[in-house]
Amino acid sequence: MADSDPPPGGAPQDTSALRAKVEHARAAHARKHAPQEQTSAASLAMRFGGEFGSAVLVGAGAGFGVDYWLHTNPWGLVIGLAAGFAAGVVNVVRVAKSYQSANPVDPNAPSVPDDAED
Amino acid sequence: MSNDPMHQFQIERFAPFEINGIDASFSTASLFMVAGAGLATLFMTQAMAPKAMVPGRMQVAAEGLYGFIHSMVKDATGDEGVKKFFPFVFTLFMFILMANMLGMFPYWFTTTSQIVVTAALALMVFATVLIVGIGKNGAKFLKLFVPSGVPIAVLPFVVLIEIISFFSRPLSHAVRLWANIFAGHVLLKVFAGFVPMMAAAGFVGVLGSILPLGMTVALYALEFLVAFLQAYVFALLTCIYLNDALHPGHH
Repeated sequence: MADSDPPPGGAPQDTSALRAKVEHARAAHARKHAPQEQTSAASLAMRFGGEFGSAVLVGAGAGFGVDYWLHTNPWGLVIGLAAGFAAGVVNVVRVAKSYQSANPVDPNAPSVPDDAED
Repeated sequence: MSNDPMHQFQIERFAPFEINGIDASFSTASLFMVAGAGLATLFMTQAMAPKAMVPGRMQVAAEGLYGFIHSMVKDATGDEGVKKFFPFVFTLFMFILMANMLGMFPYWFTTTSQIVVTAALALMVFATVLIVGIGKNGAKFLKLFVPSGVPIAVLPFVVLIEIISFFSRPLSHAVRLWANIFAGHVLLKVFAGFVPMMAAAGFVGVLGSILPLGMTVALYALEFLVAFLQAYVFALLTCIYLNDALHPGHH
């Protein structure tokens, strides 16, 4: 940001304190208003579970349907279930990717986050 | 009233009616769906009736919701998408929001806690994606299932997995809204049910019943957040899926 550079000639102490305050408020505002799909880790976990589980169910269901109509027991179910698991993993990776691009890791974050109260 | 946490999800038929053996009765669920749609319409028309240059409270709320969803659709689907799909997404959002909020009244019915309702909404989105995607892109829509840069040897497996992944969307889309609302209402009822149960156990029980009562109040606040958030998430995922219909092969 251009206006985050200090003005030429050096800023007095109180101005830089004010600037820090403004920057902090701006960062908080940006965090609050960033396009976000999820608000908590729990809802993200729910989403992962839902995406994975639904793909497994759809895969197994499709396999079962193939068995039912083409009389290929049990191969449709076996292959469908396996493909469903794979599709579930693909879904989870996609959600994780979109979450990560929506909430990029702060490059200036401290290297050791305080996870004491987790 | 019953303390059974599942009692709130029971559907009563007001006007029993059948077409070819299909139960199409007007029930509690239908009533609250009509109420949700009606409340959304009433709110938007009444709030925007003054058409004031300097808006009043209601108009600010209505314009805020409109602007919020409009910018979300624009971000997710681009200028073309917002022109085509904004009415659809905004209708979905308002309907789900109003249905969720009506469900927050004690003893009222929550339509979004019935998976058949959320499944119908999710399938509506899914059908829109299929129809618009195939209508607009033709065979190019199938590119959605064929990621670029995959070796020909593993392509059949990848296509199979992509197809399953695509068809799992309406399921997870429907289940997310349903599960959040359903679980929240069961939890509320369980904690609320503790209050009369403990209070019946004498003076100590009455004192102790303050704890689940406090929990119920706290959960109520959380449920209001969930009611709004799930309507938003449903609309957001709708936008993401609709974007695939407009721009297949941009995974």
